[in-house]
Amino acid sequence: MVLILEANALTKSYGDTHALAGVDLTIQAGEAVAIMGASGSGKTTLLHVLAGILAPDGGSVTLHATQPPLVISELGDAARSQLRREAFGFVFQQGLLIPELTAVENVALPLMLNGVPRAEAEQRAAAWLGALGLGGMEQRRIGQLSGGQAQRVAVARAQVIEPAVVFADEPTGALDSATSSDVMDALLGTTSARGRTLVVVTHDEGIAARCGRIVRLRDGRVVETRSKVADMEYIEGETR
Amino acid sequence: MKLLSVARLLARPAASGTATMVLPIVAFGVSTALLLTTLAGALSFFRWHGETGFLYQVLAILASALLIVPLASLGGSAARLSARRRDDRLATLRLLGATTGFVARLTVLESMVLALVGALGGTVLYLALTPLVGLIPFRGEPIGAAALLLNPLIVAGVIVGIGLLAGISAVVGLRGVIVSPLGVRTKQAAPRMRWMRVVFGAIVLGIAVFSVSHPGLFGGVAVFIVMLVVAFVAANAVLGLAGPFVIRLFASSALRRASTPQRLLAARTTLESPKAAWRQVSGVSMTSFVAVFAGSALATASSVSAGEMDAQSRVLLTDLRTGVYITLAISFLMVACSVGVSQASAILDRRDLYVSLDRLGMPVTTMNAARVRAVLSPLRIVAIGSAVCAAALVLPLAGISMVLAPVSMLTIAASIVAGILVVWLAAAATRPVLRRVLAEPAKLAE
Repeated sequence: MVLILEANALTKSYGDTHALAGVDLTIQAGEAVAIMGASGSGKTTLLHVLAGILAPDGGSVTLHATQPPLVISELGDAARSQLRREAFGFVFQQGLLIPELTAVENVALPLMLNGVPRAEAEQRAAAWLGALGLGGMEQRRIGQLSGGQAQRVAVARAQVIEPAVVFADEPTGALDSATSSDVMDALLGTTSARGRTLVVVTHDEGIAARCGRIVRLRDGRVVETRSKVADMEYIEGETR
Repeated sequence: MKLLSVARLLARPAASGTATMVLPIVAFGVSTALLLTTLAGALSFFRWHGETGFLYQVLAILASALLIVPLASLGGSAARLSARRRDDRLATLRLLGATTGFVARLTVLESMVLALVGALGGTVLYLALTPLVGLIPFRGEPIGAAALLLNPLIVAGVIVGIGLLAGISAVVGLRGVIVSPLGVRTKQAAPRMRWMRVVFGAIVLGIAVFSVSHPGLFGGVAVFIVMLVVAFVAANAVLGLAGPFVIRLFASSALRRASTPQRLLAARTTLESPKAAWRQVSGVSMTSFVAVFAGSALATASSVSAGEMDAQSRVLLTDLRTGVYITLAISFLMVACSVGVSQASAILDRRDLYVSLDRLGMPVTTMNAARVRAVLSPLRIVAIGSAVCAAALVLPLAGISMVLAPVSMLTIAASIVAGILVVWLAAAATRPVLRRVLAEPAKLAE
């Protein structure tokens, strides 16, 4: 197991509300980790701090995918923005794709932001769309796609830069159960199945159960960590 | 009573801040101030009864007519912005059991109150500007602040009129939402336009310009003025038809060549609705056209016959030139205000999208560059395109003017460039709105 992301004693407050009250977490390369908890438990804040969207009030976040390891929590706004652009992929609840752009342009955008020429960016974007079952829909605008198709475009956009970690915030929150399952297939199939890392925030136990590890938060603290591997070892030990 | 108490409840600042309420008020205020100032300037010419008094009055009416398009565009932006406030809460109120009629009355009341507050503020601004505007010289002396004070009945009429227009606009917008709630922002296929429009437009525009530049073909002054008005209306209508098509052509070409994210986003934004892009900047098309058209004629006239002209004719020529500059300046000012208002409201409307782009790591400078480019590209096409068209139509005259009176012609060109810069400043001034929206992700986080 190779450590990729490490959080130590994270704290974050909004006024009098302590969203994170001392969170420690390590994530290994190739893992799929689900972060769960009730509304206001701090799960989205944790994802934002891990991804460098928010700076923590205290503690540190270190990315071990770079040499030497990078302390994300010490970076300024511009450097964190650059890091997100180059090293992380994001999938949001509503997709939040740009409605004026076509599917292929939406996916190519992160590459273009990193300086890849447009033709090459669109070629690589089209390949990802094809891999996610959206071949032939490259020139469609987002309004011409179903909710599930749009969310798969969002998955392709997150993957196109081949990020160290993909962060997904309630990626199936706006979808029905069958479409949710398809989107989760796409997300897991393009991340942990290929040895890439996925951190997903979800309310859905079914979605969380498909991840390798579930981290539960309450009042800004980790109250439970369950690993599928550990569970399997326990079950095997019991039956032996 | 119930209507008033709900309206008061909804008037409280929302989580998104007070911007959604302040922006329409500011927009209505600026619209009112510019309308009253233009009206006061035009009416101040009607106190003159001398030999040339009639000519001044005709020119004042023409200048005011030229400003109708940018003013309507600015007023439209204000009304649309005000109407957008309703969208988020409309569904909630309906779910809570409010009837369609109740929601409609509430929306109209809210839009009208915002417009009236803005119009009152605009009246104060107009009065404050009066001493400054009064310094502009006509007939060899400043107009004077006193001449710019409108009859209170006219001012009251303008305020009530703006309130009513906002109410009507709210009703029309509401009907759109009720008839097709899902069709409002589905953003499916981008609209297409026919090239026949351009051909038809070019022919009508050619006839209009020919009529105006050959006054000798039509008998008396009255017939000429009627022809002038007809030509003006026709040219405006044609520009309205052809303008969006031309903007689409340029944006399509820009899209093919787009090599950076900001260019790609700007071209796609314009292509999303070339009509909306045109509507926003069309106010400067006629004024840029007239500035070069009339500017060339005036520059040539004053150079060729400078020695033979009497004092009165010299004053008239100077005043005509001043009139051209003022009309051009006001039109750009109106477009700048309209751009500022609609850009700010577009940022607020799309706050979730901008926050998500920020999370993806898109630099704020890229977002701002894309927004500004989406406004400035159509503006450059319209302002410079109209000026070049006018110069081409009066080519011999424009050529002679460039040789005989280069300073006058360069001043007109510089005015157009300055106008474009003012609009750029207005678009750039909305950067803090985006910065504030991006600084709020913490609120969206939990």
